[in-house]
Amino acid sequence: MATFSLLVTANPYSSQGQFSAIEFARTLLEQGHNLLRVFFYADGVLVASRLHAPPADEINLTKSWAKLAIEKDIELIACVTAANKRGIVNASEAERNALTGDNLDPAFEISGLGQLTEAMLESDRVITFG
Amino acid sequence: MNSLYIINNPQKLSEALPFIGENDGILLIEDAVVLATSDSAQTHCKNQFALEEDLIARGVKDKSQASWELVDYPRFVELTLTFDKSITWL
Amino acid sequence: MSKSICIVFNKAPYGSQAGRELLDIALMAAAFDMPITAIFTGQGVYQLINNQQPDILNIKNHSATFKALPLYDIEQILVDQNALHQFNLSQNDLLGIDELQYVSADVIKSRIANSDFVLTL
Repeated sequence: MATFSLLVTANPYSSQGQFSAIEFARTLLEQGHNLLRVFFYADGVLVASRLHAPPADEINLTKSWAKLAIEKDIELIACVTAANKRGIVNASEAERNALTGDNLDPAFEISGLGQLTEAMLESDRVITFG
Repeated sequence: MNSLYIINNPQKLSEALPFIGENDGILLIEDAVVLATSDSAQTHCKNQFALEEDLIARGVKDKSQASWELVDYPRFVELTLTFDKSITWL
Repeated sequence: MSKSICIVFNKAPYGSQAGRELLDIALMAAAFDMPITAIFTGQGVYQLINNQQPDILNIKNHSATFKALPLYDIEQILVDQNALHQFNLSQNDLLGIDELQYVSADVIKSRIANSDFVLTL
């Protein structure tokens, strides 16, 4: 049994990378491996918004990640710098930047790039989906 | 150490190729799977894989060349453990 | 023994922010004392051009941070010689960083092979 982390940089609804990452995550968990953390960076952070409204017959990627996180106790972390500049904010960042609202999905956390480095040091494998 | 090079964009294989050793692996995923359907994408690498789900999704599985071994997601996960590390060449 | 990492810059600046965001990963890994090699290949060699003025586009100039890499203990900086030739660039076109090593693809290949992690963005 191995410990994985994922680095996801793909723009959620412009490219396939987030779909690939979710499928990879599900598969490794089915095989009994550990998934320590999914770290979202660059355009990948956009998936952490709870305000996505895809058409009813299409997958909601945020909810797919959230389901995985809740059922399997996986950390979903969006990089604070990448997220804030792309308009993904939690309540405290919204207050700090005097914004009118926050939009982080409750299944996700906002944290620093150090969480990616730590994931590298603590995982057997880190796989990037961009 | 042997690496699994994950390629998701067909234009990126030629860019990564100078750094890929013959005992490394190449795994084509997403749009890059079309390379597995073409005679022209031959490499010096002994371990060539293409993600079956991505070929089926694009309707081109039956056009894939024998030189590319088709793998599904469970094999994808196994490959990342068979090789010492994975490098997604974006 | 800490895990080692190669950070591969393979995209030109300003059309995308990949270079800048990759640089942030490099600096963070340095703060964790990971042995780091910065590699510039393909269009990534344009990241090191010495006369960048993205301020005329109102885009922040991150190239000064490349000059500061040695201050962050990132002293292994490999530049792909083939890429320089391919784009008709010479060493004089690049930032004056003493630590730049102009190397063949084979040198980069073996460095990548011997690292625990390799990131592109």
